[in-house]
Amino acid sequence: MKEIMAIIRPKMVSKTKEVLDSLGFPAMNAVRVMGRGKQKAILNEVSFEINEPDLLKVEGSMRYIPKRMISLVVPDEDASLVVEAIIKVNNTGQIGDGKVFVCPIDQALRIRTMEKGDKAIS
Amino acid sequence: MIRAIIRPEMVEKVVDSLDEAGYVALTKMEVIGRGKQKGIQLENIYYDEIPKTMLMLVAEDDQTSQIIEIVSESSHTGNFGDGKIFVSSVDEAYTVRTRTSNL
Repeated sequence: MKEIMAIIRPKMVSKTKEVLDSLGFPAMNAVRVMGRGKQKAILNEVSFEINEPDLLKVEGSMRYIPKRMISLVVPDEDASLVVEAIIKVNNTGQIGDGKVFVCPIDQALRIRTMEKGDKAIS
Repeated sequence: MIRAIIRPEMVEKVVDSLDEAGYVALTKMEVIGRGKQKGIQLENIYYDEIPKTMLMLVAEDDQTSQIIEIVSESSHTGNFGDGKIFVSSVDEAYTVRTRTSNL
């Protein structure tokens, strides 16, 4: 099993959810997080208008950018499909599209039925 | 992947010292938890769950020890509740904008 953690733009979450749903992965967690990337949180990454033109050029002029982290656990063979789908939906070509991490998961347990392993996430 | 659960008031200090060492990219989130001491007792009031901040960053294998050093040094106060650092493995990392597999 693999856990796929994707840090994406908050406004792309519903679109991502729809696509993952249509692929057959409706289960996921979403967390509101703050973060920044290599570019140190540049200002023109946020969706609202900023009136100061000088500020737009400064690197690191905002400390953190609001993002959404979604995570889902999928069987090994589906990991690349899900990653591919998330990347395809969220790609806008602009800085701040986000990152996708794939981490190994040793064990999963569905509490209701006590099913373990792949059965628990299917 | 390095996850550090630290005191909320130490976050900016930790982030700044990571920044100086060249580790700019990170994610932070507010969490609530408790440690071995089962929360904290202040006179008559018992706090079961304590607000903390979790920093999450992904780095190359050879950089982890340096990051752990920086985080533990800058968030250290010597009291209970300084936090914990966890290191876990990441198989793959992708940048969405460039569709490439790197950090």
